[in-house]
Amino acid sequence: MIRISFARFTTPRFVRTAVLAATALCAAMSAAAAESGGKPSVEQQEIQLLQQQLAAVQAQMKLLAEQNQTLLQKELALERQVTQASLAAQTQTPAPVAGAAASPSPATSGAAPAAGGVPAATAVTGPAAAGAAFSNVRLWGYGELYYTRPTRDPGKAKADLARAVFGIGYSFDSRTEFNSEFEVEHAIASASDAGEFEVEQFYVDRRLSNAVTLRAGLFLMPFGLLNEHHEPTNFYGVQRNFVETLIIPSTWREGGFNVHGDTESGFSWNAGLTTGFDLSKWNYAPEFPQYSTALDLANSHSAPLASTHQELALANAHDLSQYVALGYYGLPGLSLGAAVSSGKAVKVPAPTNAPIPGDQRVTLWEAHARWTPAKFDLSALYAHGSISNLGAANASNPGSPNPIPSEFYGYFAQAAYGLWEQGDYRLAPFVRWERYNMGSRYAGTSGPVVPGGLVPLSATPGDYGYWPRNQDRVWTVGANFYTTPHVVFKADYQWFDLNSDFNRFDLGLGLNF
Amino acid sequence: MNPKNKGLSRRAAYWLALLGSLAGCGGGATTASTPAGEALSAAAVAGKALFSDTSLSVSGRQSCATCHVAARAFAGDSAADHGLPVPLGGANMDQTGFRNTPSLAYASFTPGFSIKGRPTGGFFRDGRASTLATQAQQPFLASFEMANHDAAEVVARLRQSSATVQKFIAAYGEAVLDDPETALRDIGLAIAAFETEDPDFHPFSSKFDYWQQGRAQLTAQELAGLALFNNPGKGNCTACHPSQRQGFDSHPLFTDFTFDNIGVPRNWAIPTNHPDGLSPIDGAPLSAPPAQVVIPADAEYAYYDLGLCGPFAPAAADANARPILAATTSLCGLFKVPTLRNIAITAPYFHNGVFSTLRQVIEWYVTRDINNNAANNPNPVAAGPGGNPYAAAGTFYTAANGTPDLYQYNDLPAAYDANVNIGEVPYTPPTFGGGQAPTLTSDEIDDIVAFLCTLTDGYDPKNPNAYNLPAQCRGGAAAGAAAYTQGSTL
Repeated sequence: MIRISFARFTTPRFVRTAVLAATALCAAMSAAAAESGGKPSVEQQEIQLLQQQLAAVQAQMKLLAEQNQTLLQKELALERQVTQASLAAQTQTPAPVAGAAASPSPATSGAAPAAGGVPAATAVTGPAAAGAAFSNVRLWGYGELYYTRPTRDPGKAKADLARAVFGIGYSFDSRTEFNSEFEVEHAIASASDAGEFEVEQFYVDRRLSNAVTLRAGLFLMPFGLLNEHHEPTNFYGVQRNFVETLIIPSTWREGGFNVHGDTESGFSWNAGLTTGFDLSKWNYAPEFPQYSTALDLANSHSAPLASTHQELALANAHDLSQYVALGYYGLPGLSLGAAVSSGKAVKVPAPTNAPIPGDQRVTLWEAHARWTPAKFDLSALYAHGSISNLGAANASNPGSPNPIPSEFYGYFAQAAYGLWEQGDYRLAPFVRWERYNMGSRYAGTSGPVVPGGLVPLSATPGDYGYWPRNQDRVWTVGANFYTTPHVVFKADYQWFDLNSDFNRFDLGLGLNF
Repeated sequence: MNPKNKGLSRRAAYWLALLGSLAGCGGGATTASTPAGEALSAAAVAGKALFSDTSLSVSGRQSCATCHVAARAFAGDSAADHGLPVPLGGANMDQTGFRNTPSLAYASFTPGFSIKGRPTGGFFRDGRASTLATQAQQPFLASFEMANHDAAEVVARLRQSSATVQKFIAAYGEAVLDDPETALRDIGLAIAAFETEDPDFHPFSSKFDYWQQGRAQLTAQELAGLALFNNPGKGNCTACHPSQRQGFDSHPLFTDFTFDNIGVPRNWAIPTNHPDGLSPIDGAPLSAPPAQVVIPADAEYAYYDLGLCGPFAPAAADANARPILAATTSLCGLFKVPTLRNIAITAPYFHNGVFSTLRQVIEWYVTRDINNNAANNPNPVAAGPGGNPYAAAGTFYTAANGTPDLYQYNDLPAAYDANVNIGEVPYTPPTFGGGQAPTLTSDEIDDIVAFLCTLTDGYDPKNPNAYNLPAQCRGGAAAGAAAYTQGSTL
């Protein structure tokens, strides 16, 4: 994302100068008109007078120009200070800067600086403008639209403005910065529509030293390649990968605080205390499959952690979770990372006089790597989640098509290649193989009791299909085509090994700024 | 009642139920008493007296308790109604009602009526009363029930019933008797207080409840039945009768309080369904059915009970009741989903009481659109040892003379057939391995019946053998499998 100074959009300096000049000229002309009389040497006198007035106006304008120049210098100096401060803060914390190591587009496009850096446009933009009050405000945004067509059931093709996100940042001083992102999902957020309006990030960073920053508020969890860098220009494929949607519940954010920093040798670290998961929200008894297309699979929030994360919406905070994330980006083109989070969850649903004994602990860990040799962009990720002590809860819901899994995992490997590049245009085909399993082990039950054969997929008469499996292996082949590093057109095709009804063709448009 | 009090009374209910069981009360709910009567508020004490005071009826033989029998989870007792699926009432106790008496157990958890999305809640089987209190007033004035002409007549009878009126005055004062309308309102409030406060109405003492607490074991068959109950491809019962807690209470209530039209067969044992309109008791003319309903001109019969859209209209005095929905024909034939708690002891089943055993109910559910619906399935799969539980075509849908009536959904004018739920399991069975077969085998139906029996209140984990279950729960596979015959036992 490019941070653009608010001042870029205003030109009060020119307006002010023009107004001053016009006023002066107008006054001079009025005076000249008033003094025009009928004397013999009248024309000469007039010319002389006008020359004098012109000289006076010129002198006045020169003075104004000098004053203006002084103001400009001061403003530039101030702006430089602010930029340096935010540069320092962002170097230590990749999020929410999109140009970090994990993003595919800047890393190979050359349009953005190296790993961990800040997009060029974040620096002083255009002629420094007035409006000092806004010069420490930053605005950015991103969004994605797509068309998805299940090839075996084209009747379920959908087009969606999946996300429109706007960010606002503010620098209080050289060490304290606020960042936020506001998101509209699925175009319309109302009681009768599927869309949501949500606060995705809302936090304050306080730089304690050059190496350590304290963050507090609602922030993205530093897990995986995508969670913190989920702008559509930063990943291959129209949709986000399944592992980082169903296992790591991107966009995963929690409320709390963390301390994070980088070392000069290229290590990053991040440790925090946050809100956790709420298993009381679990739906043991979906009458119909919670998803019947690949699009539903990602959007239905039925995955183990996607259905139980709290997003700081009146989140139960009796038990907090802890996490640690480590990264290494000390070698050019290589980025490694791993993270683990663990904490007690809000307990599973049970009648008040029949509490489920013991606590449930949710643990998620992941490891990832990304390597960009020459025109290649290679990445891989493994994520594993577990929830403890579910035997009694699952046993009390026999026959459930959706018991709570004790373990779930996923992994993927992906290769992209910068096939063609001209100016800002860039074409990068890619292939990804991924495996996800949203329930690899269950306690208290042998697993979901899923009806065989054709079953109703919804209450709509005649809407029949097969109850989907909660695991799969997926091939994705496609390409990202960038018209600028910040606007990308995408196309891909996905093959599902088990849920072959999910096979689909996708087109997408993504942008960020 | 504030939530805190509610919680206290619930806990009290639990301990009382436990205490009752420990004291060797035996039959649990069937002999449920209220040992801690002093725990009831003055209003509830008055309500308790009003509930069983037959002197408030014109016949002198009918009170709330006459039709809402405590031993049957406050549902009707057809044996006391000459075997009819509807209660008797009226000045001479010769008038027949229109609907099978619903259980009042757990009724106090019913939410108010709302129609956002799916119609939900409200009291009576058609949700026409806004509260338990406004519901409780209405039988006093119904011509086919307690038959009082107006509130003044109810109050006059109350004044004559010294034990009851003393308790009523203790709760509401004497002056209120001078204003009959207000007094009748308070009578409703008192009865509602009784039904809400007295733990006998919601003991949560079933074997299922104890199993949830880890204090009882369900048998393998009962557990298998629960799994089938929950399985969205088999029973899918939980879709409308949730076995998980919902927002209404911390316990599962086995109803989501929504309304549905499931195309229940017409019950010819309800006298009003016959055109002659005479009392089976003494041949007297029956009260005319209420008429707030739109019957299409091409309907097969003159009278239908269509639930939400009529024939009953909300009482004029019930200011917060739902609107009259007679014109909303898309709601015709929808009735409120009842709780399945105590279902084994609340036969007959459905709003018209057309079935007398749980096995029949489930057989009908899983075969409704297979062998009974000539339009859906002109070539029904033959019954047989392979597990197909249904009997001959036309078993459940019959004409007045008992012959098969394959005119589908014969208790609904054909014009309203589209209102019937055909989108959910088990109504429209999926094609398991080809051919339209029921979603449940005969053995699986037995399993579900076994589970449903565990929803009967009055289980004592210390003395499981004393669990007083009806015959249909005791007979193993043959329970309730008796030949299906419709009609009164007169």
